[in-house]
Amino acid sequence: MLQAHDIHFCIQNRPIVDKASMILKPGELTVILGPNGAGKSSLFKVLSGEQSCKHGKVSYNGRSLGQFKNRQLAQVRSVMPQHSSLTFPFSVLEVVELGLLSLRKYSSELLQEVMEQTHTWELRDSLYGNLSGGEKQRVQLARVLTQIWEKKPFPRYLLLDEPTSSMDIALQHHVLSIIQKIKERNIGVLAILHDLNLAANYADQVILMKKGHILFQGNTQEVMNADKLMQVFDHPIEVYHGDDQRPTIIQSVPFKNINNQIKQA
Amino acid sequence: MSTLTLTYQKDKKQLMVLGVLTLSLVGVLILSLSMGAFPISSSKVIFVIFDAIGLPTGEFTYQESKVLLGIRLPRVLLAMIVGGGLGLSGAALQGLFRNPLVEPGLIGVSSGGALFAVIFIVFGSSLPFLSYFGAVGLPFFAFLGGLLNTFLVYKLASQSGKTDISLLILAGVALNALSGALIGLVIFYADDAALRNFTFWSLGDVGGANWQKVGVCFLFVLGPIGLILSQYRQLNALAIGENEAFHMGVNVQVVKYILLFSSALIVGTAVSLTGTIGFVGLIVPHLIRLLYGADHKLVLPASFLLGAILLSLADILARTLVVPAELPIGIITAILGAPFFIWLIINFKKIRS
Repeated sequence: MLQAHDIHFCIQNRPIVDKASMILKPGELTVILGPNGAGKSSLFKVLSGEQSCKHGKVSYNGRSLGQFKNRQLAQVRSVMPQHSSLTFPFSVLEVVELGLLSLRKYSSELLQEVMEQTHTWELRDSLYGNLSGGEKQRVQLARVLTQIWEKKPFPRYLLLDEPTSSMDIALQHHVLSIIQKIKERNIGVLAILHDLNLAANYADQVILMKKGHILFQGNTQEVMNADKLMQVFDHPIEVYHGDDQRPTIIQSVPFKNINNQIKQA
Repeated sequence: MSTLTLTYQKDKKQLMVLGVLTLSLVGVLILSLSMGAFPISSSKVIFVIFDAIGLPTGEFTYQESKVLLGIRLPRVLLAMIVGGGLGLSGAALQGLFRNPLVEPGLIGVSSGGALFAVIFIVFGSSLPFLSYFGAVGLPFFAFLGGLLNTFLVYKLASQSGKTDISLLILAGVALNALSGALIGLVIFYADDAALRNFTFWSLGDVGGANWQKVGVCFLFVLGPIGLILSQYRQLNALAIGENEAFHMGVNVQVVKYILLFSSALIVGTAVSLTGTIGFVGLIVPHLIRLLYGADHKLVLPASFLLGAILLSLADILARTLVVPAELPIGIITAILGAPFFIWLIINFKKIRS
């Protein structure tokens, strides 16, 4: 289990994340949602170990961050940041290969398997710098998946900061279906997303953040309702719950409709 | 086609590149030994070398043997080690800073070395305890200066255990400026002889090479070279970003320490023995990346080999262009290197993509 307890994170004495506690269970997808500046990425960085926080404690499988060596930590969790840029002309295959860095043993088919799953195998000889934004994200995803792809006896975690931000609709669903699959390998996935619909239809747990606080946290059904979403995003939102045939649809209300409603009232 | 065969093909290609470079280096070595004010045919060169390591050999004169083993070989070896070291540390620092325009002079090694060298040259005669160091006095003193500057730059750029790369570059610029000013101040007090000595030293020169210098160079440089070569996977990870490298399990801070101090040792030693030789550390890694891609597994050793080749070739030019006099080697590398640097700036965007 990935546990964060009472996280308090400041930049220049301004609290960015305040009293945040959360749990990420292996086998589940937890999505963090919230408006800009809610502290999502900062919480994400504290969880990944990239930033240390003043107060609070983060632990993986019951062991706190400080007790891990970097390499051990890399075997337990894999992280995909929002943007990664490369200055030098590396090929796609070379970038994905870096995911093997922390592994001692791995099967020779590992890279090909991951790259075929992420549709990056046919890009393997291209230069990373020449790819489109969506392709770059797929390559980075392939890299972080490589790091935790092979089954291990202990639970592991995958942290993704807006993994689908530059992707078209089909690819977004493709990526989330990969996440569904990887969950079954005793891996807990934490993702920051902007698309409420993707979150509502794929997430097991949802965390809603605003101004550095975690306002709501729980099952997707419970948390993703119109009242709570409006409270977090300060904008009217309508939720149409789906079933086996239909997806859940979340729609933010355009300003002109709001004005009309006010007039009618 | 599985990744295994792909990796195998890549390894084979890399080995081939390294093999070709090594052969070229041997070729340049022989060429370099045979050329000069006193020409010796390449077959004689091979005879002398074979004789020196106890292999059956052909005929050669005593004079040829003396010139080769006593004067030319140490000089060529020094040029090769220094050139290779500069190329390698250039590649390492560019990788560490994730910036293709970095060169070893940037972190202040060269200017620190130069400052301490000029202090030694100008005030050396009035400080009797310095004579205690003997022939290694100048190199050792310059090396100390280089290391001191690197350490200061590094400290200035470090905050709470993390090193900010852009601060590091700024600190390097500041300390380079300060060192330059102090050099000027010292030169103000120098007499004519010291001034001339320093001018030649600062232009870069492998002419004064002897076995003692080669020995010192090997002693200081071999370890750091091995250390840098061992960090190729970490450098590859760093290319994606420091945070990403941390996520992949790299101890970024340790890698920074290793690369910075190894580079300082190599460049400091090189500066102290041959003066400041510019542009080798900048150009060589670029050529390798343009030709064979950015994988540090190849870039690091190939930069060493190509650096050695280029500086030896520059040395050949330096001592054959104006026979019987000699040009300082730093002038040659700068004359060839500066236009390349300008070309690089113009095409910077294309290379990046």
